[in-house]
Amino acid sequence: MLINALLIGGLYALMGAGFSLQWGISGIINLSYGAMVILGSYISLAMFDFLNIDPFISILISAAILFFLGAAIYRGLLQPLIKGGIIITLILTFAVRLILENIMLVVWSADYRTIRLSYAGYSFQIGNAYVPLIRFLTFIIAIAVIYAVYRFMMGTKIGKGIQAVALDREGAEAVGIDVEKMYLINFALGSAIAGGAGALWASIYSFSPHLVGIIVGKVFIIAILGGLGNIWGAAAGGLVLGIAETTGVIFLGSEWQEAIGMAIMVVVLVWRPYGLLGRKFFG
Amino acid sequence: MEERSILKIESLSKHFGALKAADNVSFRVKKGEIVGLIGPNGAGKTTIANLVTGALTKTDGKVIFKDIDISNLKPYQIARKGLTRTFQVVKPLVGMTVEENILVGSLYGKLGRNTDIKNASQRAKEIIKLVGLDKKKGFLVSDITLPDLKKMEFARVLAMEPEVVFLDEVMAGLNPTEVDEASRLVKKVRNEKDLTIVYIEHIMKAVMGISDRIIVLHHGKKIVQGTPQEVANDPAVIEAYLGKRYAKEVKNEEAISTPG
Amino acid sequence: MVILIFLPKFIHGYGIRILTAIFMYAVIAQGINLMSGYMGYLPFGNAMFFGIGAYITAIMMGKGITFLLAMFLGGIVSILVSTLFGLPVLRLRGHYFAIATIGLSGALLSIVQNTTEITGGAMGTTLPIIDAPPKVTYSYFYWGMLVLMVVVTLVISYIMKTKFGYGVRSIKANEEAADSMGINTTQHKVLTWAISAFFTSLAGSIYAYWMSFIAPDEVFNVMIAVNAIVILLIGGMGTILGPIIGAFIIELLSEVTWSSFLEYHLAVMGIATIIIVFFMPKGVVGTFSEIRKSGEIKRRKKVTI
Repeated sequence: MLINALLIGGLYALMGAGFSLQWGISGIINLSYGAMVILGSYISLAMFDFLNIDPFISILISAAILFFLGAAIYRGLLQPLIKGGIIITLILTFAVRLILENIMLVVWSADYRTIRLSYAGYSFQIGNAYVPLIRFLTFIIAIAVIYAVYRFMMGTKIGKGIQAVALDREGAEAVGIDVEKMYLINFALGSAIAGGAGALWASIYSFSPHLVGIIVGKVFIIAILGGLGNIWGAAAGGLVLGIAETTGVIFLGSEWQEAIGMAIMVVVLVWRPYGLLGRKFFG
Repeated sequence: MEERSILKIESLSKHFGALKAADNVSFRVKKGEIVGLIGPNGAGKTTIANLVTGALTKTDGKVIFKDIDISNLKPYQIARKGLTRTFQVVKPLVGMTVEENILVGSLYGKLGRNTDIKNASQRAKEIIKLVGLDKKKGFLVSDITLPDLKKMEFARVLAMEPEVVFLDEVMAGLNPTEVDEASRLVKKVRNEKDLTIVYIEHIMKAVMGISDRIIVLHHGKKIVQGTPQEVANDPAVIEAYLGKRYAKEVKNEEAISTPG
Repeated sequence: MVILIFLPKFIHGYGIRILTAIFMYAVIAQGINLMSGYMGYLPFGNAMFFGIGAYITAIMMGKGITFLLAMFLGGIVSILVSTLFGLPVLRLRGHYFAIATIGLSGALLSIVQNTTEITGGAMGTTLPIIDAPPKVTYSYFYWGMLVLMVVVTLVISYIMKTKFGYGVRSIKANEEAADSMGINTTQHKVLTWAISAFFTSLAGSIYAYWMSFIAPDEVFNVMIAVNAIVILLIGGMGTILGPIIGAFIIELLSEVTWSSFLEYHLAVMGIATIIIVFFMPKGVVGTFSEIRKSGEIKRRKKVTI
C-alpha cells in the first residue's frame, strides 16, 4: 500500500518539479504543462508503436522534443509579453494548452491509450509486499532525473546562472549573465521534464487529452507544497500528494481525493506561503 | 522644562535576532519643531521611522503620540491620527496621475475632516499649487522626474493634513540645486501649515540648515542630541560620522563670528 | 448603445440563448474585473460563488422558497463565505491569492459532491420548471441576466467614482503606500470581494433556474473563471465596458468556431486569444482609451511647455 503510494509519489515528484521550476524561477504558471506531459506520453506511444522503442528509452526523445517546443513557446510567446504580468502569461499558456490539446485530439482522438509492454506483469518481492517492476523502474528513473537536474543546477555554469537569476535578477545582470537566456533554458528544461514524465506516465497509466487539466491541478498542488522553484520540495510534495491520494482513496473514497489535495494546499498557503520546505532553492 | 511634546518615543527597540536595528532609543519632539535625525548608514534612522509609523513591529518600547499610546496600532490607524511619513524610495500610486495621487492623500489621511470628493479635490488642488506641481498635475506618475516624484509624495502627505511628518531621506537622488529648493519648500510648508517634522537625512547641509534640534543615531543607539552647533562639535558625533572636515568648518565659522 | 440591447426580443430562441449567456459571462467577468482590474487581486476561484448561488437557489426552491428570495439568500451566503475566506486569504500576495482561491473553490466542489443528501451529490440536482411556453421563459431569463449585467456595471462604475473606489485603485497601484495613507486595506479588500461574490452568485442563481438542472463540476468549474478572465483580457481589464465587449467577442467567436470548425474549436480559440493578446494587450476597450489618453496628454504637454 505504502509502497504504491511512494512509487506514484516519485512520478508525481518529477512532474511537479518541472512545473515548479517554471513557476518559481520565471514566475510563469504554465497552464499548458499538463498538455506537455500528455504530449510526451503520445510521443512515447508513437515511438513504441512505429519504431518499437521502449518508453524507458523514448523518455529521452519525449524530453528532447518538449525541450525545443518549450523553448519555442517561451521565445515566441512568453518572452515578449512577460511584463504583462501573471494574468497575461496565464492566458497565453492556457491558449497554448488549447492548441496542443486540440492537436492531440485530432491526431490521436479522445480515446484512452496505453503502452503495452511485454514485461508489464513482472513484479518482485520486498519483504512481504509485491512491487510491480514497471512502477519501480519509473520511480527509480524519476528520482534519478530529479537528482540529475539538481546536479545540473548546482554544478554547471548554466545551472548556477539560472539560480543566480532567480535569486537576484539585477545582480545577475550586473555580473554579465544573459538573463533572458537563463529564463529560456529554465522554461525549456521544465518542459523537457514534463515530456519525460509523460513518457513514464505512459508506461504505467492510460492517457488521453482529457487528462490535461487534471495533471495541471496536481502539479499546482505539488509545486505549492514544495515551494516554488524548489526541486526537492517538489519531490516531497509529490510524495505527500501520492500518499494522500492513496490513503485518501482507501479511507474516504475517491471523491474526497480532490478535496484533500485542495485542503492541503490552502492550509499550506495560509500557514506557510513559501511551501513546506521554505524558500530556499535546492535543498 | 516639560513643554508639550507631541511625540514621545520611549526605549524603542527592534531586534532581528542578534542584530539590534534600534536599541533603546528615546527622544521627544515638541510641536512645531523640525527635528533632524541623522547618523551613518545603517544607524537605524529608517527603522525608527518604520517603527513609529507602524510599518514594523517593535521588540520593545513605546510610542506616544498626542498623549495616546500608538505602539501597537496599524499603519493606517496611525496615519489617520495625524502621523505620516514619506518613503526613502518613493512609492507613487502607479497608473494614476499626480493629481489623483494627492487626491487619495486628501481623501484618506487624517480622520475627522470633510472628505467628500469635492472638498478633497479642492484641498488637493491647493496643495498642488503650494508645492509647485500645478503644471504637471495631469501627468501620470510614470511620466515625471524623480524630484517631481518626491515633491508629489510630499504633497500627498500634506494633503493628509498630518500634525507630524517623518521625512525619510527626501533629498536622496537630488542635485544640490534641487536640494536647496526642497529645503526651502520644507521650511515654507512647516511655517504655513504649523507642522512638526522629523527630518531623517544623510546630506549634512540640508539637515543642519533647517533643523531646530538634531538627534544622532549610531548602531541603533542614540548617541547625542542638541542644536546643530552642539552636535557638529560633539566629539562622539564627529568620530562616528561627520568627519573632521565639516566639524572644522563649523569651528572656523564660530571663530569668525564670535567677537574678540 | 444600451438601447440596442432592449430591442432584440424579436429574435428566435437560439439568439436569445446566446445573448443570455453573453450577459451572464459579462457579469462574472465584471466580478473578476472589480477584484483584478481595479484592485489587483485575481480571484481565480470566483466560480465558487457562482456555484454557491446556483446550489443555494436549487436547495431553497426545493423547499418551496420563491426564486427571488432564494437568489437573494444565495447572495448573502456568498458574501459570508467571501468574508470568511477573505480575511485569511486576502493577505496573500499575487500568485498565491489566485491559487488559494482555486483551492477553496476545489474544496467547495468536493464538499458539494459529497454531501449527497443535501445537494444531490455528483449527479446534480434539479430546479422547478416555470409553467409557461419556452419562448416566454427564455425571455424572462434574458431580461434577468440583462438587468443583472446592467446593474453590476452601474454599481462598479459608481463605486469607482467614490472615495472607496479611489481606495480600491490605490491598493492595486501601491498597497504599501495605500496603507501608509490611512486606507484600511483589509476592509477594502474584503468588502470588494464581497461585492464581487454577491453579483457572481446572482448570476449563478439565474443560471440554475434557467437550466433547471445543475451539477457540481459544472457550476464550480475553474473554467468559468478562466473563460471570464479571457473575456476580461480581451475586453480590457480595469475598464467599465471591457467585460461586456469581451463577452460579446468571445462568445460569438466561440459560437462561430463551434458551428463551423467544431474539430478545431479549441485551437481556434487559443490562436485567437493569442493574437488579440499580442496586438491589444490592454484589450479592446483599453487600447482605444489608451489612444485617446495619450492624445490628450500630448496636447497638454504642448500647452504647458
